[in-house]
Amino acid sequence: MNSIRRRLTVGLLTGFCVLWASAGAGLYLNLRAGLLAEFDATLLARAQALSALTRQEKGNVELDFPGELIPGFERGRPVDYFQMWRADGTTLEQSPSLEGNQLSYQAGVAETPRYSDLTLPDGLPGRSVSLRFIPQGSEEAPDVPPAQGAETSVVLAVALHRTGLDHRLNLLVTTLLVVGGLLAVATGFGVPAVVRRGLSPLDGLAEQAATIDVASLQLRFPTADLPAELLPICGRLNELLARLQASFERERQFSADLAHELRTPIAELRSLAEVALKWPEEPAATTRALQETLEIALQMDSIVTGLLTLARCEAGLQQRSCASIRVAALLEEIWEALADPARRKQLAVSWDVAEDAWVETDPAMFRSILTNLLANAVEYSPEGGSIHVRFETGDAPWQITVSNTVDNITPAEVPHLFERFWRRDPARSSCIHNGLGLALTRAFAASLGLEVNAQLTASNTLTLTVRAESASVRSTSSR
Amino acid sequence: MRLLFVEDSKRLQDSVGRGLRKAGYALDVTGDGNEGLWFAESNSYDTIILDLMLPGLDGLTVLRRLREQENNAPVLILTAKDTVEDRVRGLGLGADDYLIKPFAFEELLARIQALCRRRYARKNALVVIGDLEIDTVARTVKQAGRNVDLTPREFMLLEYLAARRGEVISRSEIEAHIYSDSVDLISNVVDSAICSLRRKICPGNARPLIHTRRGMGYILEIDPR
Repeated sequence: MNSIRRRLTVGLLTGFCVLWASAGAGLYLNLRAGLLAEFDATLLARAQALSALTRQEKGNVELDFPGELIPGFERGRPVDYFQMWRADGTTLEQSPSLEGNQLSYQAGVAETPRYSDLTLPDGLPGRSVSLRFIPQGSEEAPDVPPAQGAETSVVLAVALHRTGLDHRLNLLVTTLLVVGGLLAVATGFGVPAVVRRGLSPLDGLAEQAATIDVASLQLRFPTADLPAELLPICGRLNELLARLQASFERERQFSADLAHELRTPIAELRSLAEVALKWPEEPAATTRALQETLEIALQMDSIVTGLLTLARCEAGLQQRSCASIRVAALLEEIWEALADPARRKQLAVSWDVAEDAWVETDPAMFRSILTNLLANAVEYSPEGGSIHVRFETGDAPWQITVSNTVDNITPAEVPHLFERFWRRDPARSSCIHNGLGLALTRAFAASLGLEVNAQLTASNTLTLTVRAESASVRSTSSR
Repeated sequence: MRLLFVEDSKRLQDSVGRGLRKAGYALDVTGDGNEGLWFAESNSYDTIILDLMLPGLDGLTVLRRLREQENNAPVLILTAKDTVEDRVRGLGLGADDYLIKPFAFEELLARIQALCRRRYARKNALVVIGDLEIDTVARTVKQAGRNVDLTPREFMLLEYLAARRGEVISRSEIEAHIYSDSVDLISNVVDSAICSLRRKICPGNARPLIHTRRGMGYILEIDPR
């Protein structure tokens, strides 16, 4: 499984292991070099001591020291060895501790000392230094250099047992390995714990996210005490949840509205059919029943179409186009279908719309908005009431107001006018309206960037206003 | 059995009303809450079928007022409101049953029958009086093992008499429970129906079940005192 914790743990463990190993190796090499340098310095000091005691007189080279002065080169419990060669490679002198064995002669050795590891005659590991030098003059005149052409160089090799050095190096390696092992174990336990602790806010988020489902979209991720790295993630997740909640709420409301609004027509349809089948009637009654069935089907179609249009509009999926529309002509066209009902209710209608007023917007949605406003005014005006339609420009580029007298609406009900399926009569006995007209009006208006609102004045006049903030108008002369 | 149907949908009034009448029920129908309350206060109904979203007065208020007046007529709420809260509220206010639209007409009939039986403290759908067996669910009648063919109205009359077995039932009570207001109550429609019923369930008059109490009414019993 692709896990951040695992990747972090593996990465950190690998990193720490490499770090500890590098540190251990570095420390070992450093200490080894120090010990070796110290050992080599001792070796060189022995060699230099021997070279200082070497004299040359008249072409003869002699070691001018008694063996008891440097007991380390004696037999018995020998620990040190030396051998001196003439320039031609013949042995000039060697320590008794060599017991006739030879140290390796390095003919080309330079003035600078050369160190090398070797196996000593006693079979133990050792380390030697070889150097070439020209012995000093006789003891009587040590500062007098040998005569020109008489001087000769010798090669000296001094070897020491390195058992002590190897023992210390082995101890160092063991110590480093033990400490490294302990560090590795501590790292093995510590890193996962630290990673777990460090990722605990993430675990908390994951646990909370796991509890969120459709029924708990109101939950939000807490942002208090959250690490700075997780704050933007939580913020985005909370925004996403809010959007999801709103979306689900809309869907739920849509389904609930649809189900509720369709229950009654479906009940009508079902009981009509069941009763007709159970107690068949004469053809005339059957024709009536079929006519009613058609009416119910049309009513349901109107509800479903209205709701789907509303849903599309709210989701921003409604297709839009743009055209220049002459407002007065459009109002006249719409009014043709409403004139008869208005006459029957003896409504006094007045217009204040410039003949040459134009707006540029979507023709279908704009027509729907105006149709709903005018139909609403005719429907809810009392007998003998009045309707006034006005197109004007003012603070906004343009606005249309449709005012009509009402006698059965209260100020508290005005904010509900644009809610879908809201009807003053909760019984919804009327099959003429599906309760979506003004909800669609607001949705269309929002889609076109228009603002629509309602106001109820003290004189019982309801005014519905459609206001444009950015659409253009070409003329505003009053007719 | 007399029912009150308070429903604002004209189409449901027509179709359900027709079905209930065809099933033999006497039915009053109204689409207004205030009018429904007035009907319920003015008459004795065997079941009231009540919508909740009504013009005038909503169904729950109608129900509450009826129960406040100690009107115990069984109430079946028939509504599009389907949430648990709505059902709990309706039943909590004293409704006897709750049916959600859309519904099967047969189920509505069965529930009304059950409520009518309960009104007369009868749980068993089969009523047996001597050799007479009345199946209130199948709506069939048998006497001494043979089927008796009754019209819905006759069945309703017999069911009502059987529901109040041993009680003297006045003509006006029968009229109120079996006949709707459209029937001319001055006519002798009750006497004619009783006479017709007697002919069908007591063909030889050998052992009559329906007895007349002069000036009082009728009683259904094997051997009334």
